Amino acid sequence: QELKLADFQPPTHFIVDTTYTPFGEAISAATGGETTVKVFMGGELGAGPAEQYNRVVDGVADIAFGLPGYTASNFPLTLISELPGVITAEGGTQAMMDNVDMLSDEYRRVQLVGLWNNAPNLILTAEKPVRSMDDLAGMNIRVPSRNAGIVVQAWGANPVSMPAPEIYNAMQTGVIDGAMIDPTTLKSFKLAEVTNFVTQGMDTTISEFFLIMNRDVFADLDDTAQQAVLDAGREAALTAGSTWLKIADGAMADFAAAEGKEVTTLSEDEVAKFNEASAAAVEQIVADAEAEGIPAKAWIDALAAD
Amino acid sequence: MTTSNIPAWPDLFGRATFALAALAGVLLILMMGLIASAVFMRYVMGNPLLGVNEIVQLAAVAITMLALPYATHLHAHVRADIFDPALGRVGRWLADILTRALSIWALWILVGRAWDKAAEAAEFGDATNMLNLPIWPLYALVVLGIGLAIVIFAVQIVLLILTRRAFGEPENG
Amino acid sequence: MADLTIGILGFVALFALMILRTPVAFAMLLTGFFGIWWLDGLRRAGAVLMTETYSAVANYSLIVVPMFILLGNVASAAGFSRGLYDAAYAWVGRLRGGLASASVIGCAAFSAVSGSSIATAVTIGKVALPEMKRLGYGPGLSTGAIAAGGTLGFLIPPSTGFVIYAILTEESIGRLFMAGILPGLLMMALFMLAIWIVTLRDPAAGPRGERVAFRERFALLLKALPLIVVIVVSIGGIYLGVFTPVEASGVGAALTILLAFATRSIDLKSFATSVMETVTTSTMLYMIVIGANVLNPFLSLTGVPGGLEAGLNALGLGTYGTLAVILLSYVVLGMFLDGLAMLVITIPIYFPVIQALGFDPIWFGVIAVIVIEMGMITPPVGLNVFVVRNVAGDVALGTVFRGVFPFLIAMIVCLFLIILFPQIALLIPNSMFN
Ligand code: NA
Ligand code: NA
Repeated sequence: QELKLADFQPPTHFIVDTTYTPFGEAISAATGGETTVKVFMGGELGAGPAEQYNRVVDGVADIAFGLPGYTASNFPLTLISELPGVITAEGGTQAMMDNVDMLSDEYRRVQLVGLWNNAPNLILTAEKPVRSMDDLAGMNIRVPSRNAGIVVQAWGANPVSMPAPEIYNAMQTGVIDGAMIDPTTLKSFKLAEVTNFVTQGMDTTISEFFLIMNRDVFADLDDTAQQAVLDAGREAALTAGSTWLKIADGAMADFAAAEGKEVTTLSEDEVAKFNEASAAAVEQIVADAEAEGIPAKAWIDALAAD
Repeated sequence: MTTSNIPAWPDLFGRATFALAALAGVLLILMMGLIASAVFMRYVMGNPLLGVNEIVQLAAVAITMLALPYATHLHAHVRADIFDPALGRVGRWLADILTRALSIWALWILVGRAWDKAAEAAEFGDATNMLNLPIWPLYALVVLGIGLAIVIFAVQIVLLILTRRAFGEPENG
Repeated sequence: MADLTIGILGFVALFALMILRTPVAFAMLLTGFFGIWWLDGLRRAGAVLMTETYSAVANYSLIVVPMFILLGNVASAAGFSRGLYDAAYAWVGRLRGGLASASVIGCAAFSAVSGSSIATAVTIGKVALPEMKRLGYGPGLSTGAIAAGGTLGFLIPPSTGFVIYAILTEESIGRLFMAGILPGLLMMALFMLAIWIVTLRDPAAGPRGERVAFRERFALLLKALPLIVVIVVSIGGIYLGVFTPVEASGVGAALTILLAFATRSIDLKSFATSVMETVTTSTMLYMIVIGANVLNPFLSLTGVPGGLEAGLNALGLGTYGTLAVILLSYVVLGMFLDGLAMLVITIPIYFPVIQALGFDPIWFGVIAVIVIEMGMITPPVGLNVFVVRNVAGDVALGTVFRGVFPFLIAMIVCLFLIILFPQIALLIPNSMFN
């Protein structure tokens, strides 16, 4: 059986060679060629990144790459991991995959195959450097999620929501002053062209990616094939997680080396100010989640214990 | 006798679908107002409105689905008419029936899926990211809009059979 | 059956449905849906149909389509577009073929607020065609100028064509809009040159208009002011960073409505009519987008895009040879297909090839929009020609197609200039964004 994997990123994306090719080969090898994976990049099975979850639920694709943050209402517990200080960039993927059973309630409409984290979201600004929390006051900052919006607000900025492909224009023309986003976008969305300043050092949100599979298609596989998918998925998550960090490091190094670009690593005092503000916001978000019956504290403790 | 053999009852559907399309028009104007105020709030007041894009997305679905039956009733969908003469009178008539029958078939399956989707989205509380707006009403509007488009197509097939001529042809042509 | 064969059968079915009077949107939707059903079962086919019906429409960027259509409809109902034409006439009507040139300028100016070629041709055609008839213009020249001038609606921002292209290729709408400005002005100038040449050979086709006193010229310019304000605010606002293209469309429409009511140029009834026309047209366009979004996964599943891509590469024609084949295919498809439909069918196939050849994606967007515009006025299916003939009333279709011919040559010249000098398209976006 051929499993169709849908991804909205361009066909040239590094995930194809580093992650999908070994993923497919591992499944094929473990099932003696009975089950294979065919990758459809660039939104060939349907444009619109936000719909990836629905594509798997409905069965447009058998497996899909996506961000839990795009349909945040479905993944409140997963998204607790994106809050500042909950996971580390380096250990996050391992910790989440080790405790993946705790998430099963959230993924009952699909089969979770792999879950990993991006590099931390930094503050990218066009004209005005952010060297202290005071600098951020009143700036219009694009945020990737509702949680990130709450954090940015706690830092004193105005959160603005807009689709990622629009950031370039909005920053260039001054519609927004900056964006809270991971540094790989300096390359992939060409944000380096419109960004002059990057601020890092504080605890910040860390976005998650996942590979999910249609529930019925997974159930129809025999035990060997099911195990093969889960094993290969775990491996894919770990590979993808470390690859993303490496790409982010490279993008940051290139940015820092470019003329006229400035990377601010916050001083200890400033980091403390930022973290104090975001910790209060995180506490509130966790308390709200617990109030809705989401075991946020247990999840945070499990991730920290890993 | 010169009385037309076009029955009057299909006009009822025209008026009903017009009412829905008028609702779509009101939504369109409200959305325009929202987009303009968002600019004002950010640029003049320095206080960006969060989640305008989510409202706009949902409103676009609502507008399209509310106006679709009316647009279908008006035959507003673009088509190429260059081969019409080659089809002949009977060919055009059969083509009009076939197109509508095929469309009804596909749209019927769509309505079924949209119905399931609405029920599932309601059960699982699917909502937008920033504003937490429930999504199931939009799937329900897909059921309504596509469902009424099916009705319009069905009415048009009945008309085609009753009048025995393709759409847009003279009565005694 | 091999997947690729099913894909080719899909194209046959698509054309057969269009011949059988199926609207473009439904022809694509039916081909995609039944194609996936055959290929991969009802579960996946139904899933694609459901997901795309929702997600193709729930698209923030696409909202510029209804917004700009609303802007154009209200401007037309309020008589603002007539003011624009009158002003253009006052300034150039005295020249040989001046009325035709005024029509082209009116089209270009109206294009700056209308995203649609057809809307532009109809709006300016309604005011300009009777005038040209009154002054004894040849029916070929007058209808040709309007049909061709209308295509500027797609090239000069805002443009439905650029929006669809941006959505299909994930390029920036703002950049594409800015890239369309200079080619649009160049095309307008070439159209006027074509008119000059036509009237040089046949002065009777475009007699001179009456002279308008200078004072009157400025007075008429003042009357065109409302629409000029809207144009300056919408395009200037994007350029100065006050708002995004999506916001520009909303602000532009709101401003037009405010001006229309403030100057008492519109009553509630004709405003309501404009809104109803807007939702009807927008729904029709959204259905085309849905249809394309259902068709595309089917083509991907059959491997047709990859096959065509490989085929084009295997021809080994080199960079410009491959570009020539792509452009020629557009001319052929453009004879039969609707512009938007053509864009959504071809771009997913050609875009990877163009990128691999190292062409600038923004530049190719401009090129693609121009060849698609050519399709709007080539026989046998030329939507702009059809609507202009309908507005003109008493002109044979063949006369309009013949009248369009000099303008088609002008478009080809424009195309070659932009291929030779890509800066014509890229100067503004590059200076603005880098
Ligand atoms: Na335009
Ligand atoms: Na044509």
